[in-house]
Amino acid sequence: MADYEERQSLQGDEAEGRQAAGGPGRPLPAICDPGHLLHRVVVLVFMCFLGFGSYFCYDNPAALQTQVIQDLDLNTAKFMQLYAWYSWPNVVLCFFGGFLLDRVFGIRLGTIIFSLFVCVGQVIFATGALLNRFWLMEAGRFVFGIGGESLAVAQNTYAVNWFKGKELNLVFGLQLSMARVGSTVNMNIMGWVYSRAVALVGAPGHTALGASLMIAGVTCLFSLTCALVLGFLDKRAEKILNKEQGKTGEVIKLTDVKDFPLTLWLIFIICVCYYVAIFPFIGLGQVFFIEKFDFSPAEARAVNSIVYIISAPASPVLGFMVDRIGKNVIWVMVAVIATLAAHMMLAFTFWNPWIAMSLLGLSYSLLACALWPMVAFVVPEHQLGTAYGFMQSIQNLGLALVAMAAGAILDNQGYLFLEVFFCVCICVSLMAVVMLYFVDYLKGGDLNMSAAGRARLQKEATSDAENKRRSSKVSEGELAGKAAPMSAFGLRNRYLSRLGAQLPDHFSSHLSSLSHRSVLK
Amino acid sequence: MAPVRSCGAFYLYSFFLLLVSSESQSVFRGESFRRKLSVELNPGRPAPPPPGGDLLHVRAVGLNDTLHFLFCSQGAPTLLLVHTNSSSSTVEVDWPQFLMRNVSGSLRVEPESSILQSNAIVFSRLLEYDDVNDTANATSDLFPPYDLQDFTWAPLNLSGASALLCGAAATFANGSLCLKLTVFDSEGRDQMLPRLLHSANSSQLEVWLDGLLPRASRSRFLLELQAVGGAYPLSRVEVRRSIDDEFTPTIFKVLQWLPPLNRTSHGSGFLQWKPVSYRRSSPSVEEGSPTRSSLPRPQRGEEAFSALITAFYAEPETFGMNVSFGISGEPFYDRSRFLSWTVLLGVGTPPMDSFSPMVLIMMAVGLGTPMMLLVLGGVCICVRKRASASNYEPIN
Repeated sequence: MADYEERQSLQGDEAEGRQAAGGPGRPLPAICDPGHLLHRVVVLVFMCFLGFGSYFCYDNPAALQTQVIQDLDLNTAKFMQLYAWYSWPNVVLCFFGGFLLDRVFGIRLGTIIFSLFVCVGQVIFATGALLNRFWLMEAGRFVFGIGGESLAVAQNTYAVNWFKGKELNLVFGLQLSMARVGSTVNMNIMGWVYSRAVALVGAPGHTALGASLMIAGVTCLFSLTCALVLGFLDKRAEKILNKEQGKTGEVIKLTDVKDFPLTLWLIFIICVCYYVAIFPFIGLGQVFFIEKFDFSPAEARAVNSIVYIISAPASPVLGFMVDRIGKNVIWVMVAVIATLAAHMMLAFTFWNPWIAMSLLGLSYSLLACALWPMVAFVVPEHQLGTAYGFMQSIQNLGLALVAMAAGAILDNQGYLFLEVFFCVCICVSLMAVVMLYFVDYLKGGDLNMSAAGRARLQKEATSDAENKRRSSKVSEGELAGKAAPMSAFGLRNRYLSRLGAQLPDHFSSHLSSLSHRSVLK
Repeated sequence: MAPVRSCGAFYLYSFFLLLVSSESQSVFRGESFRRKLSVELNPGRPAPPPPGGDLLHVRAVGLNDTLHFLFCSQGAPTLLLVHTNSSSSTVEVDWPQFLMRNVSGSLRVEPESSILQSNAIVFSRLLEYDDVNDTANATSDLFPPYDLQDFTWAPLNLSGASALLCGAAATFANGSLCLKLTVFDSEGRDQMLPRLLHSANSSQLEVWLDGLLPRASRSRFLLELQAVGGAYPLSRVEVRRSIDDEFTPTIFKVLQWLPPLNRTSHGSGFLQWKPVSYRRSSPSVEEGSPTRSSLPRPQRGEEAFSALITAFYAEPETFGMNVSFGISGEPFYDRSRFLSWTVLLGVGTPPMDSFSPMVLIMMAVGLGTPMMLLVLGGVCICVRKRASASNYEPIN
């Protein structure tokens, strides 16, 4: 049935395409025909590998924690600067990535430019290691950060552009899984790459480290190639199908910030305090598992990457579940409490860390599925771009600061204290969730409504709004306020689809470009 | 970007304030008890220092017991700890006999009946091996060992209740091996890593090897220790895992060299250390290098010569153990040409790290506040519901 529909729509596309191209030409073979599914699959492959390099290289420092620290004579605080420098440009870029893609470069050129940034960043990073110049490595991470997050935006814009109304949810799911595969492969393979580099160079040291980082940089080169190919294919499709270049459609208006409701600020607090207890921990995890649990380096890297491995299959399933059940605040609370439990397990017990890390992976996926869509409930659609941009910006700010603090804590107070610090962050997050629950309850908001309740509300709101529109003029402000509950369902789906949730076709979003690494991870 | 950076700096600064405040943790621990320390160099010997090395005597007098710490560099450097149940016990040295180095009983603790037990630790040999394949296994390629009994030891350098002893073998081109003994009058811990917790019943020995020219570029080192005791010498090593690495970051183990299991009592001696050495004179986490230790085994006929042991014990029982520095993949000694390792020798229950108050406070506040919020919020909502319900009643 679905197949049939798809074929219908494809045929429709093809017909449109040919017409637009100006009269019947020689029919293209399916694989070269931009309107055909087979061609789109080819495009999808390039699309998926577009982000592979940046995901692979993002966690290079974590995968080589001991080697980086030893070969470059660093302390942990300095080591964590590598992560902080990645986050700094994104404190600002979260607001402008979409603008740059839409207005300045265009999607094709923009993608290539951001891929170049990723490539050049990684090369600078590796060169810094080769020459044993740490400031150069930091600079490399900074350049890498400029490209990395914006590349994720570009990747999603491409996906929307090519698969809108078709296999979009599946495509988002696949991109997400590729991202995780990139992180996981990195975690598990870089140790081996380094040992090969040592064998090649003769001795461990900054040369071997630089060499292995250069090798890791090949994945970025590969992604750059994908960007070029995609640009070419997109241009070609534009000519043949006469379609428009993709747009993120992101509108950022910083003055909207003053209108953000209390609930949104609470969501921000949850987001920042939660994620700062995840990523910096993964960045520092390897040595923890080696020293505390007597793991071999390979085992430690494996357990460190389990969070990513789990979230790949768990995100769609959990997303579907949250979507069906609703009650987002409760889910967020469950996720935060589970994360707290996982961190406390790691801090205060010698239990096998596979348990805690698996729990962390699950709860982390659950949080992503339940938390990010909530933003769409509390702000009107026209402020959504600003809200998401702001959320990611302060999240990056938090990550940069906590990365620096975490390194300093580890150097001075050890892992127990670091874990306690992360627990406190999670506790702050938990406080915000509890407050969110009560605030929402008192306001009679729909954050914690069940899915059925939401559908009912949506129906009422729709008819209500229609009545109003018919009977009298509604002031603009009022309309904006009312717009939120009205379109909440659709909006939420739009952001859910980013997380790889499988949604029915008619819920498919028209764009979903605000997704950054932090969301995808 | 500038304001963001300074914001980060402020954040870090306020965090360091927290760190500093957590250092004042002894307030919570409560002062256990204090020993009165008295330090005496070459007890009972008139002016000229004895040839061949000094003898240091530190008396740590408690309420009704005394610990005698004797540290001597005649022969291999030795620390002897004698525990007596009298607060007036004394050490008697028969110097002419003591300097003959072969007469048992030339150093006595009087009255003899007050002796509860005694333990000594002898730093006997320094071993070096060429770790060609970076395996950190000292099975082969051992260079001829340095016997510490043949070293030339400089006079003891005293400051307060600590003494510094440095020496070098005749074959050392440059560099030295130093031992620093510190005796404590109360509980506390060093500011320097590994920040071992010590009690008033223990002394700390820090050993470091500074500037020695290694005999191969891939040299690693081992230190041979001998534990000497009367009836029940230290004979087994116990590994204790701890979740608390606040004081020695990234180290989650404590090793203890103890008497046989059935002979371990409250008053028995112990040697305690954390399996970490440091490659710089100002130790930091990233300069930490794991140590491994072999199982102790009886050393019959292989005892290192120590004048102190010969003078005090009639029939010494000796167990030997090697501590090896560095594991596979770690930098070799040649890189920094420095190694330091710290160990405690004491009597009684070995001190154990416990959570600092800072951790407890953070966990309590962190977990307590959301709970309180939950309860408060719940109560508030219940009250509101009640109120609104009663408000509606009159209308109905």
